[in-house]
This record gives sequence, C-alpha cells and structure tokens, in this order.
Amino acid sequence: MNEKEIKLQAYLDKELAADERQQVESALLQDPEANALLAELRMIRGVLAGYQDQTKLPESREFYWSKVERGLRAAERAELSGSRDTAVRTWWRKWLVPAGAFAALALAGWLAGTQTGFFGSTAPQGESSLDDTGAFTYRDFSTGTTLVWLSYPAEN
Amino acid sequence: MSERSYSSDEDMALVRLAQQGDMQAFEELVARYRDKIYARAFSMMRSEEDAIDLSQEAWIKAWQRLKQFQGESSFGTWMTRVVINLCLDQLRKQKRHRVESLEAMDEESGGVERQMPVVTVNPTEGLERQELRVRIDKALGQLSQEHRTVLVLHEFEEMEYKEIARVMECSIGTVMSRLFYARRRLAALLVNINKEGVR
Repeated sequence: MNEKEIKLQAYLDKELAADERQQVESALLQDPEANALLAELRMIRGVLAGYQDQTKLPESREFYWSKVERGLRAAERAELSGSRDTAVRTWWRKWLVPAGAFAALALAGWLAGTQTGFFGSTAPQGESSLDDTGAFTYRDFSTGTTLVWLSYPAEN
Repeated sequence: MSERSYSSDEDMALVRLAQQGDMQAFEELVARYRDKIYARAFSMMRSEEDAIDLSQEAWIKAWQRLKQFQGESSFGTWMTRVVINLCLDQLRKQKRHRVESLEAMDEESGGVERQMPVVTVNPTEGLERQELRVRIDKALGQLSQEHRTVLVLHEFEEMEYKEIARVMECSIGTVMSRLFYARRRLAALLVNINKEGVR
C-alpha cells in the first residue's frame, strides 16, 4: 500500500483534513488509475452498506435466556463467595496481624529480659562465649557460684 | 397480583430497572438485542458455537457492569461494544495459538493487493437481497480474522481509524493497510464467487 492509496482510502472514509481532501481531488482529475481504484473501494463500501446482517440466533428466547440467567446466577455466587473470602481475609488481617505482632513483641521482650537479667536476676544462667567456643560458664548469683567447663585439657 | 409486562418500555427505562436489580427487565433487553449481539459475534468469529458462547458472556458482563452505563450511547451500541471487546480478546487468545500463514504475513507486509486487478463492474449488481447476503457472508468468511475484524468495525460499526487502532491494539497505519487489503480482497472474492456461483 503506497502513499497515494493511503490518501485515496482516507479520502473515501472522510479521514482527511480539508486541504488534503483538495489535494486528492486535484490529483484525481489527472489520474484515471486512481479513479478506477477509488470507484472499486466505493463500490465495496456500497455493497457492504446494503448488506443486511440478518443472522439470527439459532436458539429460542426461553432457552437462550435460561442459559444467560444460569450464567448470571453463577457469576453472582462466585462474586459472593469472593467477597466472603475477602471478608475472612480482612478479618484475619485485622486481628491476626496485630495479635501476631503483639506476641512477637512480647517474646522479644521476654528474651531481652532473660538475657539482661531483668526477669529474676538471681536465676542461674548458662553462657557460652563466642571468643572461646571450648568454654562454658555457669553462674548462680544467689549463691555467688561460678563454674567454668573447658572441653579441652588445661595447659600446664 | 399480575406480572408486569416490560415489552412496551423504552430501553432506557428497562436499563434503569435492571440497574436496580430487576432481572425481568434485563431479560426483556436480552430478548430485544440477542439477534444483533449474536450477529456481531458471528460476523467476527465465523463460528456459531463461539458466537453463542461469547454473546452469552457479553450479557453476563453487561449485567455486572450495567451501573457504568449512563446512556451516553444507545443501549444497543453499548452492548455491541461489550461483545466486540470479548470477541477481540478471544481472537487474540486464538492468535497466540495459531501459526501465521504465509498469506497473512504477506498481507501484513503489504504489496499483495497490488497484484489484484481493479474490479470495474459491481459483481453483486442485480442480486436479490438474500443472494447478496449469502455471497457477502461467503466472501467475509474467506478473509483472515484481522482483515474481517477491521472491515466489520469500520463498515458495520462505523468506527474511525483511531478507534479501531485502539480496540485492536495496533497502529493506525496497520488499520489502514488491513482495511485497504480487506476491501480489495473482498472485491476480488465477490468476482470469483460470481463466476463460480455459490455452492
């Protein structure tokens, strides 16, 4: 499809600006080929315009509607169950997430408390030093006892 | 209490009732436009089964989106757009699973239509309306999906190039090229059908 054909078709379909329409009209005066092509395109337009689409649905009104109605009910059910799922998800998000966050905070607080001795500072504690992985220290503050286990023989 | 009759109501009155959940009013709209909607689906899909399925789907979609319809166009036009969009989606899905024919690729790249001689005599001249319809149906059925779709949207739905480009997700240039090819090919097909007669 070349420029001339594009313009010709756009001219037929009234898709050209006024100045471009004039250019095409002037060109048509001296171009029998373009005139023939335009006549063909115009003829096809005319044929299609007269074409009455008489295609009929090959199903009775009642049968067709029964199928549409079934589809509508199914879509409504799906929408309803979808919104119910969403409601459940919203409920979980509303309650479970804050509860989970609270539990996590409580656990972190408890762990921090036991590590710093905040909860029952007199409770016995075990400690494994990262500097010396072969040593384990046991402290009992109530009795003032400290025991250190060494997993390797002491050097002389 | 006797059942209300909707057959004398205007489309817009039925739409308003259906928007409030009145399914009987919606049924009346389906009854009024079912042939038109099916016919549009059939003109694009060329398959009775696909056209029935897609037209039903269109009615379900329309019911779900009915609140969006505010009467900017006629209900028939709005419904036709709904079914056209569904058909285009379906054609896109089918295209993904289809290997393009060499002819289709030639058509896309352009040039084939130049080999067709210009048709100077109307091949449908003097035909009865029914005969004309059969021949055009046959010729439309021989066009590729892309060309038929452009032709249907332009000639029957009176869409402008840019609107066709938008709904078909292609450039205006592609629309123009497809439309040009489709018209020229349709002319040639009608001449051939005229020579052969409709079998």
